[in-house]
Amino acid sequence: MIRALVMTHGQIGTELVKVVEMILGPIEGLDAMSNHGLSGDDLRVEAAAWIGSDPGLVDESNPLDPPVLIFVDDFGGSCGTAAQFCCAQCPGAAIVAGVNLAMLLGFVTWREDNDLDELVRQIVQKGRESIVRLGM
Amino acid sequence: MPVVLARIDDRLIHGQVTAGWAPQLQPTRIILANNAIATDSWQSRVYASSVPPGIEVSILSIAGAASLLASRESAGERSILLTGSAGEMAELVRLGAPLVCINLGGVHFSPGKVEMLPWVYLDSQDLVALRRLLEMGVELSAQQVPGGREVSIDSGNLLELEEKF
Repeated sequence: MIRALVMTHGQIGTELVKVVEMILGPIEGLDAMSNHGLSGDDLRVEAAAWIGSDPGLVDESNPLDPPVLIFVDDFGGSCGTAAQFCCAQCPGAAIVAGVNLAMLLGFVTWREDNDLDELVRQIVQKGRESIVRLGM
Repeated sequence: MPVVLARIDDRLIHGQVTAGWAPQLQPTRIILANNAIATDSWQSRVYASSVPPGIEVSILSIAGAASLLASRESAGERSILLTGSAGEMAELVRLGAPLVCINLGGVHFSPGKVEMLPWVYLDSQDLVALRRLLEMGVELSAQQVPGGREVSIDSGNLLELEEKF
């Protein structure tokens, strides 16, 4: 089963995961991590530790099974950079920026029936569709 | 090349720089000075992709950045200069980068570092480098984001921290 980590500024990730569990019940393999107080290097090490590998070993030669999906809050931020250094070159890992609640609900709902690439495609589409101006 | 912000930040190019300082300072270029990243095309690509459209990015060795900063070419540019450590910033100045003021923007805790400010933790090597910067006539101040608390750092502050080791 595909695991996911929500890496964010402050407690955004922790709170998003809590809300997903409020809506769907307890979820296995969905965790949160904050960049608070961490240098760029330490953030990379923490992310690698969550994946369960030495930071230097997560590369092309290290296919991850089960696959992992890392959500980050902000494209261009420290979480996205650390996640990319950690596992972007690794088969079995994917990173998506701009996490929102709809994307995480989609992740939990669709992860068992899809491979990683298809899951990411659906989640990105869901995330975009969930941003809507209301009341017009 | 004129520098509008010379910043020590171990996260290098990230939100506080691109979303915080850049809209305020309107840089034309972000210069990341780091020997390891400059020779690693993959890491360079990742950092370069974090820079908003409209801002150029140069990822250079310390020596390369010092020479670019010292040159009279590109006098119309406005650069944000980033290093990950005080030692690298001191080396830039030693090699001739004409920097007037250095911003301590984010130096996070790791074992062996002592807190100077909630966003600045320093070890003995950092203190040596900051002292060298002061001796070379560079001003030091610590400020994480625009509009945030700005703290001027002098040799007295460094001495105070040295006593905590």
